[in-house]
Amino acid sequence: MSTDNRMLTMAEALREAMGIAMDERPEVFILGEDIGIYGGAFGVTGDLYHRFSPERVIDTPISELGIVGAAVGAALSGMRPIVEIQFSDFTAQAMDQIANQAAKIHFMLGGALHVPLVLRTPQGSGTGAAAQHSQNLETWFANVPGLKVVVPSNPADAKGLLLSAIDDPNPVIFLEHKLLYKIPGRDPVPEGAIRIPLGVSKVVREGKDLTLVATGIMVNKSFEVAEKLAAEGISITLIDPRTISPLDMNPIFESVEKTGRLLVVQEGPSHGGFINEVIARVSESSSFGSLIAPIKRLAGMNIPIPYAPQLEKAAVPQIEDIEVAARELVKSWR
Amino acid sequence: MSFRYPVVMPKMSMTMETGELIDYHVKVGDRVSSGDVLFEVMTDKIDMEVESPADGVVEQLIGEVGATVDIGKPVLILLTDTEVMAFDFGGEPAQLPPAPAIVEALPVIEAVVAVPQISVPEVTAPVAVAPVIVSHTYKAVPKARVAAAETGIDLRTIVPTGPDRTIMYSDVINRHPTEEQLKRQAANRALIARGIEMTQNIPQASFTRSVTVSDSGLPHLMSAWARVLRSRPELNVSGKDGSLNPQVGVATIIESKYGSALPVYKDPDLLDMKTLSELVSTTSTAARHGKVPLAMLSGATTTVFDLRSYQMTSTTPRLFPHQVTALTIGESSGGAIAVSLTIDLRYCDFYDGAGALDLLVKTL
Repeated sequence: MSTDNRMLTMAEALREAMGIAMDERPEVFILGEDIGIYGGAFGVTGDLYHRFSPERVIDTPISELGIVGAAVGAALSGMRPIVEIQFSDFTAQAMDQIANQAAKIHFMLGGALHVPLVLRTPQGSGTGAAAQHSQNLETWFANVPGLKVVVPSNPADAKGLLLSAIDDPNPVIFLEHKLLYKIPGRDPVPEGAIRIPLGVSKVVREGKDLTLVATGIMVNKSFEVAEKLAAEGISITLIDPRTISPLDMNPIFESVEKTGRLLVVQEGPSHGGFINEVIARVSESSSFGSLIAPIKRLAGMNIPIPYAPQLEKAAVPQIEDIEVAARELVKSWR
Repeated sequence: MSFRYPVVMPKMSMTMETGELIDYHVKVGDRVSSGDVLFEVMTDKIDMEVESPADGVVEQLIGEVGATVDIGKPVLILLTDTEVMAFDFGGEPAQLPPAPAIVEALPVIEAVVAVPQISVPEVTAPVAVAPVIVSHTYKAVPKARVAAAETGIDLRTIVPTGPDRTIMYSDVINRHPTEEQLKRQAANRALIARGIEMTQNIPQASFTRSVTVSDSGLPHLMSAWARVLRSRPELNVSGKDGSLNPQVGVATIIESKYGSALPVYKDPDLLDMKTLSELVSTTSTAARHGKVPLAMLSGATTTVFDLRSYQMTSTTPRLFPHQVTALTIGESSGGAIAVSLTIDLRYCDFYDGAGALDLLVKTL
């Protein structure tokens, strides 16, 4: 298979990254619920159980606190665990291990120890799984110093970023949108162990009228909007931060200085959302003086995700919402 | 030409809003000279004597002794013959038509700045005096604020066309001059044209030299030219009657949104270069915003046009009334500047002119 047309899904790309890392380093292993024989609730680990061994792809009991606690201990003793939590909503069960142990041990022991742990977990709405299985929780983790937070939007990035996350000596929370698992990306996934550094924003496309910053699945939706509005003569720069902690603002500043307009989109609720950090940093920067329009944000409603499909859809930004907001910003502000 | 100048209640401190008129030192009909005390003012911080900005006759006493007067409001009207080629535009609160009716029910008209305010001389066009305030509380996008600050535009005079009556960037960069600004521009042009017309039939001669100078800044050139005139008093006479001018007054031309302003620097060669440079810088900025102190609007004995920002090489400068010399500074090749001099042949001859230009080049 040639590199040019490897159009993998995100699940396949993530599996490939884990396989590469396990081939590279014997200390890499995976643990989680139903990830072994079953291949993962969303099929991400797939055949890794059979390719490697039950010792390296470990099915665990239903105890998130126990899983993460075991992984933290393993990481402290030289292993590189990859934890899969079946739904990001369940990280609440493991939060003490994540926020109080994994994130802080390195600092509280004066840098003597590292916690090279990756916690992969699916998030997001759109599957009819209701309020306890549909949240976007990136801001929980971004608000804990000591954690890195990755939100990939496509298979190629997911593979490269996961390889870097596994290399990283710090705990990394890797948040995958469920709806992206089965979709091939726009770009082929490079073969081999190609890494994408954490903390580097990606300019997905360039335009001169509007800077659109989006994460996760909102990157795909925003891309569609940008392509559509290009036909109307509205040209959009789309930026995917990819890691929201650390956050690479430079391409955003540069673009805002060029376009003078900023639209920020996330699926999670607006209150206390990650996008507010982007807006705050632009407001604090010298790029602020380049703004020719008020900054606009689109985010989920401040409600638990509803079960009814129509309401579930209405609770988070859709393509049409992004399209209206983008057009309005460019048309109304000159 | 006689002009009516309102002498206003001056702003003497940052917090001052009104002053009490203690007493007049003059009465109607009195002839006064520039610098004579006209009236006395008291504020909570300071007592001050307000001096006449020009020679003239007291035409009217407006303020009542003992009354409290808002800053910028006229206290006394001075009738003056002072030769003024362009005027201060700061304006007093004037009876202007309301702002364009795009914004409803907003308070209209108030002077933007209350510092020295002089009304416009009465020339052909009726001239209104204050920029029209569209709204005191305005909303503007950041880039509009930056653009306004950079170009000296008062955002309160911009009609907002953005959502929620917000001033957009395009409102600032595409703003149209207001009707009142256009009137002032026209009046100003008419004034300058009339001045040039008056000297039209005077026999004149012009000379041009290209010269390389180490410091080609306007303050340096102005100072050098003033030194030349001081050493050649025959070139610093009044074009009215040939009498010697007591001082060298160098007028410069500054473009403003109201047309050309002509601030006059008196004896610039007697100031040290740092002081003169600062004075030129602050005066130019003020003039671009349409504000020149009255004291700097009279007393010109020569005029210097700096054409370099327009990449001009030279033009034949025209004499202004009662001046016997005019100078232009233009661009020249290889970093040199082109200096052109026009003289009034009734008071000096070709040799005087050529000699003066040569001396200027040597001085530079």
